[in-house]
Amino acid sequence: MRSLSPVLASLANVFKIPISQTSTRPSVTRVCNETLLKKSTSGPVTSAVQAPAARSFSTTNALLKRKGGGPRGDRRVTLIRYFLHHPKTPRPLRFSRTRYLRHWTIHRAWQLFQAQQRRSEQLELQRQWQAMNAACEELRTGAGDGGKLFRKSMNKRGVFRDLFPIEYGRLQTEAPSQEGWNHEWKRMEKK
Amino acid sequence: MAHCERAAKPLLQCLQKSYPRALPTLQVQSTRAFQTTAFAREEAQAEPKSQPFHKAPDPALVSSPRLERRLIRQGVSPIGSRRRRAALQSSPNVPFEQLPYQCFQEARKVLLADREEKLKEIVSMREKIARLQAVPTEEAGGEQVKKSRLVAMELHLERLKILADINDPLVKKKFEDGQGDMSKPIYRYLADRKWREYRRKILVQRITQMKVIPDVLPHCDPVVDTKLYFGRSPVQPGEFVNSRVSTSAPKLDVQLFDRGEKLVTIAVVDSDVPNVEKDGFDYRMHYLAVNVPISAVSTKVDLSKLSSDSQVVLPWLPPVAQKGSPYHRLSVFIMEQKDSKPLDFAAVKAKETTRDNKLLRTLQARYHLKAIGAHLFRTEWDSTMAEVMKENGYAEVDMELRRKRVEPLPYKRRNPSTFR
Repeated sequence: MRSLSPVLASLANVFKIPISQTSTRPSVTRVCNETLLKKSTSGPVTSAVQAPAARSFSTTNALLKRKGGGPRGDRRVTLIRYFLHHPKTPRPLRFSRTRYLRHWTIHRAWQLFQAQQRRSEQLELQRQWQAMNAACEELRTGAGDGGKLFRKSMNKRGVFRDLFPIEYGRLQTEAPSQEGWNHEWKRMEKK
Repeated sequence: MAHCERAAKPLLQCLQKSYPRALPTLQVQSTRAFQTTAFAREEAQAEPKSQPFHKAPDPALVSSPRLERRLIRQGVSPIGSRRRRAALQSSPNVPFEQLPYQCFQEARKVLLADREEKLKEIVSMREKIARLQAVPTEEAGGEQVKKSRLVAMELHLERLKILADINDPLVKKKFEDGQGDMSKPIYRYLADRKWREYRRKILVQRITQMKVIPDVLPHCDPVVDTKLYFGRSPVQPGEFVNSRVSTSAPKLDVQLFDRGEKLVTIAVVDSDVPNVEKDGFDYRMHYLAVNVPISAVSTKVDLSKLSSDSQVVLPWLPPVAQKGSPYHRLSVFIMEQKDSKPLDFAAVKAKETTRDNKLLRTLQARYHLKAIGAHLFRTEWDSTMAEVMKENGYAEVDMELRRKRVEPLPYKRRNPSTFR
C-alpha cells in the first residue's frame, strides 16, 4: 500500500475520506484494466457486463453517491476544519506561566497607555473648544460694539460659495515637503 | 533523571552567564516594587543552608527520585515537574518583577506610575469625603443631597481602590493560585468577577429552571457565593444527594464579596412534601438558624456546629422522600437580616416551632429578611432511604405512592359519516 503524504493524509482525515480506499485505488484500476483487456481479447463486451466493472472506478464515496448528496454537513464547519487542521496552520501560541504574566503585564500597560493618550487628547480638544467659546463670548460682550463684530464673525454666508477653504488650495499630502517652503517660487510670466 | 538535568543544562548556562551582570543594577532600581514577596523567599532559602541538601531536601528543588521518594514518605509532595525543579536548582531565582526583559520593565514602569497616581487620587478622595462629612447638613444643601453625594464619593473611592491594583501581575498570579487575601478589595472584586462568569450563572439557571424561585421565594438575586458540602464532598446546585449522606447537616461556604460583617438567617426548605389528602405538595422547613455572622474572610458555616441556644431555631432534619414521590427540592437560602441587626432569638424560637407548612415568604416578611444567596440539592427514594426514614421516626416507610391512574375516555368515533 502506498503511503500518502502527510498533507494529503490530514486533508483526507478532515474530509472523512477513508484512506484505505484512496490508496488502494490504483491497484483496483490496474486489476480492472487487466480484466477488461482479457475480455476484449476474448470477445465483444456487452454494456451489461461493463456496468459492474465501471462502478469500481467511481471515486465517489458510497454515502455521497446516494441521492441528496449524503450528509455534507455545514459548509462553514468544513472550511473551518480545513484551515484549522491544515498541516501548514501554525500551532497555537503557548506561553509558560511567567511568560504569560509578562505578556499580560505588557498588554495591560499598553492598554493603559492608550487610554491615557485618548483621554489627554480629549481633554486638549475640550480645552481648545472652551477657549474658543470664551473668546467668542468676550467678543460678543466685551468689544463694546453691541456685538456687531461677533455677529459678523459668526456669519457663515458665502464661505463655500465665493471662496473655498484654504486647505483645498493645494493637493493634500501626508507630510510637509522635504525642503519646507519654497521662497524662490514666482508665478510664471505670461508670454 | 539524568536527561532532565541534561535538558535543563543549556538553559542554566545561559541564565548563569547573563544574570550576574544584569542583576545588581536591577535590584538597585526596584526599590519599592508592587509587593515584596521576593525578599521573604530569599530569607527562607538562606535559612536551611546549614544542613546538607540530601539531609533536608527542599520540595521546590529536589530532583533525584530517591530524595523525592523520601520526601513523599515524609508527607511532603515535591512542587512542580522534575524538569522544572532541576532547572530551578542552579537558577539565580530572580523574582518575577525583576526579570530582565526590557519591554516588561518599561510596562511595569507605566503601571507603577499609574498606581502612584491612583493612590494620590484615593488620598484626595478620602480628604474630600471627610470635608463633606464635616460640613453641616444645611450648608451642603439638605439631607438628601449630602447623602447622595457621599454615597457617590464612596462608590468612586471603592472603584479607585480596585483600579489601583487591578494591573498588578502579582495580584493576578496570587489570585489565580487561590492565595488572595479576601480582606482586600481587589481580591474580592476578582473573586466576584470570576464567580459571576460561570458559577453564579449555573446557580441562577438551576434555581429558576427547577422553579425554586417562584415556589419558595418570589425573587432572589444571589450576591454571595454559596458552596454546600456534605462531609467533605461538594454538592453542585441541583445535584441528587444520597439519603444516608444527607442525614448529617451540611457545611456551607458562604463567600461574601462586600466589606464588613453580616448577620444572616439560613433556612433549608423542602418544597415537595407530598400531601395525599389535598392531592398536592406541602412545604417543610428542614433547618432554620438566625444570627449567623459571615464576612469576606470567615466564610465557613457548619450547620451542625452552630450554637443551639443562640442560633439554631430548628435543628437539621434529614430530608426524606417517600417511595414513588417525585424528587424533593431542598433549597438553602441565605437571608440577610435588616441592617445586620441580630434578631431576638428567644422570640423567634418561641414563634417558629412547627416545621410543616412553614413558608419562607412568611418568614421573610415577618423578620424583614432579604435573600442574598441560594443553593439547591435534591433527594429522591434510594436504597438507604427506608433506614433513614425509620431512624427518624417516619410512619409508613414501606408505603409506595402511586400516581392516580387517569381512566382513558371510552372510544367514540368522531363524525362517523366521513369514515364511510
